[in-house]
Amino acid sequence: MKVEEIMNKKIEYIEPEATVYDAIEKMVDKRIRSLLVNPKDEQDVHGLITVRDIVFKIINKNLNPRKIKVGEITSKPLVCVAKDMPIEHVMALMEKFNIARVIVYEEKKVYGVVSLFDVMSGSLIEKAREGHSA
Amino acid sequence: MLKELFLGGKKEMEVIDKMKKHMGFLCLACTTLKAAIENRDKELISSVSDLEREGDIVRRDIFSSIYEGAFLPFLRPNICRFVEIVDNALDVTKDAAIEYTDLELDEETKDDCARIADISAKMCEMLLAAIETLSGRADLREKSLAIRIYEKRVDEIEFDLIKRLRTKEIKNFWEGKALSDFIRDLTSISDLIEDASDYLQIINISLR
Repeated sequence: MKVEEIMNKKIEYIEPEATVYDAIEKMVDKRIRSLLVNPKDEQDVHGLITVRDIVFKIINKNLNPRKIKVGEITSKPLVCVAKDMPIEHVMALMEKFNIARVIVYEEKKVYGVVSLFDVMSGSLIEKAREGHSA
Repeated sequence: MLKELFLGGKKEMEVIDKMKKHMGFLCLACTTLKAAIENRDKELISSVSDLEREGDIVRRDIFSSIYEGAFLPFLRPNICRFVEIVDNALDVTKDAAIEYTDLELDEETKDDCARIADISAKMCEMLLAAIETLSGRADLREKSLAIRIYEKRVDEIEFDLIKRLRTKEIKNFWEGKALSDFIRDLTSISDLIEDASDYLQIINISLR
């Protein structure tokens, strides 16, 4: 199974200058667990902020999410894959870098995101298809 | 094994083959609807209506075969209910296709609708594979789980799609109604396939 079949195209962006509280609000409103952080300038690259970053880097340390900028806790660089990559490679990357999300890039543009849950669902569907043309 | 005893007869195998044929029409209808949406090809709509009519013929044939003596009486209601749900899915696929005739979808909505139709087609293929396991020894649970995963994806796309469409200006009542009916019918296909899968699971358990 290829990445394209399991990826989620629902991607939300946030500016690095926004506060972590803004990020939390956006995640709750949109029912998502990560946001793509826009580059600060032309030399910069995209980053990622996840619920995990917020819990471990802010809440667990009793820091005030209203006073900390998203850019301060953003993970960079992103681990990216092509949309035609098999999900086995994605699993290997996730294990190697101990991450739960990879970004799908196409023609230098963000195309989608694949989470651990997507990989698990994809693997289960693939298993169910075994021996059938579905 | 009960399964072999209940499904091994000639009449029973004929009904299962017809059920596969019926499902095959649904698979094809969903794939055609997906192609119609993806390529904005409204000429394909009539093919979906033709498939629905063909499906009706097979459904009647299945019911006749069942009441001519295929399967033990305690199994018949659930098999008939399964066939009815698949037939309802064919009906809503046709309805969605007809409603699409008068719609002009923006690019983003078109992509989401094509994805829903694509996932529905994959769910049909999985349900078809599940029917095949009914007469064999393979476990149906894996197929049923895959269908539920697909259905959850459709729910997610539907949630975002409806949220986005509510912010759009609708110029007249009938345009809004046609769009609303189209989305409702398009997303009902996967619901019905999931229901059919649940019935198949019940049939499978009754055979143990």
